[in-house]
Amino acid sequence: MKKRNVVALFFVLPVIIILLAISIFPLIYSFYLSLCQWDIGTGAARTFVGARNYLRLFTDSRLWNAMRNTGLELLFGVGTQFLLGLSLALLLNRVFRGRSLVVTLFLLPMMISPVVVGCIWKIIYHYQYGPLNFLLEKIRLSPVNWLGSSSTSIYSIILADIWEWTPFVMITLLAGLQAIPDELYEAAKVDGATRVSTFLWIVLPLLRPVIIIAVLIRVMDAFKIFDLVVLLTMGGPGQSSETIAFYNYLTGFKYFSMGYASSMTYFQLAIIVIIANIFLKSWKGREMA
Amino acid sequence: MKRITVFLVVLVVLLGAASWAYAVKLVVVGDAGHNLKPFDWYAQQFKEKFDVELEVIGVPFGELYEKEKMELIGQTGAYDVMIVYPKFLAEFAANGWLYPLDEFIAQLDPKMDDVTPGYRDFYCKYGGKIYALPYDGDILNLYYRKDLLENEEEKANFKAKYGYDLKVPETWEEFLDVAAFFTRKKGEKLAGQVLERDFYGTAYYGQKDQIFAWWGNIFASLGGVYFNEETMEPAINSEAGIKALEMMKTMHQYCPQDVLAYGYEELKDIFLEGDCFMVIQWPCVGKKGADPAQSKIVGKIGVSHVPGVRREDGTIYYRPLMPCGRVLAISAESRDPWKAYQVIRYLSVETSLDDVSTAETGLDPYRYSHFAHPEAYEMFTNVEDARIYLAGVQKNMEKGYPEMVLPGTVEYEETLGVEISRALSGEKTPKQALDDAAKMWSEILNRLGKENQKKMYQELVSGWRAAGLWE
Repeated sequence: MKKRNVVALFFVLPVIIILLAISIFPLIYSFYLSLCQWDIGTGAARTFVGARNYLRLFTDSRLWNAMRNTGLELLFGVGTQFLLGLSLALLLNRVFRGRSLVVTLFLLPMMISPVVVGCIWKIIYHYQYGPLNFLLEKIRLSPVNWLGSSSTSIYSIILADIWEWTPFVMITLLAGLQAIPDELYEAAKVDGATRVSTFLWIVLPLLRPVIIIAVLIRVMDAFKIFDLVVLLTMGGPGQSSETIAFYNYLTGFKYFSMGYASSMTYFQLAIIVIIANIFLKSWKGREMA
Repeated sequence: MKRITVFLVVLVVLLGAASWAYAVKLVVVGDAGHNLKPFDWYAQQFKEKFDVELEVIGVPFGELYEKEKMELIGQTGAYDVMIVYPKFLAEFAANGWLYPLDEFIAQLDPKMDDVTPGYRDFYCKYGGKIYALPYDGDILNLYYRKDLLENEEEKANFKAKYGYDLKVPETWEEFLDVAAFFTRKKGEKLAGQVLERDFYGTAYYGQKDQIFAWWGNIFASLGGVYFNEETMEPAINSEAGIKALEMMKTMHQYCPQDVLAYGYEELKDIFLEGDCFMVIQWPCVGKKGADPAQSKIVGKIGVSHVPGVRREDGTIYYRPLMPCGRVLAISAESRDPWKAYQVIRYLSVETSLDDVSTAETGLDPYRYSHFAHPEAYEMFTNVEDARIYLAGVQKNMEKGYPEMVLPGTVEYEETLGVEISRALSGEKTPKQALDDAAKMWSEILNRLGKENQKKMYQELVSGWRAAGLWE
């Protein structure tokens, strides 16, 4: 090996060791665990069971219920965050007095600690003493059982998540909008393009890479939604608002079924990787075109 | 060379002296909030008496188990003193993660004879050895609004409707009658006053981690048991279980709509805000209810035993559950178990009356001496009220029904809790829900090792029998 290469290796060695210790080893070890049955604390030894944990995933109705709830969060939560975030970004992408202040105010929910967000929404949603039901009653509507009903609890979590994360989508898309050169708008205007056609044929195509990144980040985050579930409903009533991340936590750190929890983690990883690839391919496909 | 040697010797001597000068530092872990306060209150005394400094780590109530277990599995020695929920004591002790206290007890008496049998034998022992000292004696009690119960107009209306006198409900049927009677809508009258918001007959802990205990109060009084001792078949879907869940479903109609989202705080608040006639709750609610800073119904709270079932001989068979509770244990990896023992003994013996008799903690009485001193409970407006409160708690304590403490308890209790919630929210019938829960319990049992679990369950049951807590 050349002396130069040895020196280079010497410099990157600490990083390689750290990566091996905190990323690669846990990745390999957790995969091995996913092929074992290991219920810590029960006195039973760890035993190799092959693909049994993975087969159990397909028959576990609680897991599929959690997947369904995660799907609702992706569809309604991330979907609404995108639509609201884009609308706000378009509104704020113009010059007006106090714009910086308005943008900062919009960003506040995102700056608050997720735990505090959960506590705030728990108070807001309180059936008897919460301000939301108080306002509903003031406008002569019936109070809503936000957290104590199996038909509304997951949507209450989604609503709080929308409030918290729409600003992220907004600020990312606003940055994308501001990167579009003014000349393009002027050229479109000269060519007689309407505001709608300018949006459809200039703004959207140029904003597309930013949209893909913003939505992809939110999709990955939504797949991991945990804090709001713990603080608002603990997955209840029953299991009506359990998400995949919450169920995985219960399996791993409440029931201490480490083998099954590991297999669930790999299942989630596979789904996230597939979704990310679809998004990134769509981006690359557009670039090629 | 000589200079270097002298320098090193001096350095070692100085470091040694410095370490002597500083007290031993012990790490305490427990559920964050009011129950950790005594560790701060007596920090100076721990230093002066035992030469110990404490670092207190609070973790959320629902996460204490996993935080402790992860450190214990890894044998990290992160904690010296641990607040442990008794249902996990068997698991922790069986795995050798806790320090047995018998040798220390022989040297420094923790006055275990003063501890009531349920807490002494059920909370602190495993396999014939003592692994913990009691810190918080939890049992469920019935709290009700005695001012409303004594109201002449309400008494007359109740008698006209149900044909018997309005009184503290002693059976579950009476409980349902009283709950139905006091459930009123906003605008209706209660004790002559027009209600500004809805008023509820009762409420319960609806979150799935503890809901089993509120169902369990009825189940146990109907003679229910967790498993068949001989076959280890789950017995939660027995006739007693189904009847208990049907009763709970009836009770659900008289509760706030969002009761399935209620944890400890919400259940405490609905009662202490004056919006509910009666609740079944832990003893600390009685103390907090007497504190004007925390309660709008000071002086209006009565305490009694949880309802039960009237037997053929006319006696009432009631079995309140003993969920939660707290004991103080020492990690097997503790850096100084003897000093840790002195600390936990001090809290369990010397300061315990002060700690359980204040509304600033959630700690509840567990020693005979705690019940013998009603004057210590200064939040009550008079000693008689304190005496009534303590008598009510003691009445429940004598009939306490132990919480299951097998390894895997969290999974057993939570799967049962999920199914109870599903029945109460109308997703399933009580029978379907409990049959499904029993099926899941069988799966858990087989996965965790049926024979091992059976052996442990039989040991537990014989311990409960010896303590007079099991028939």
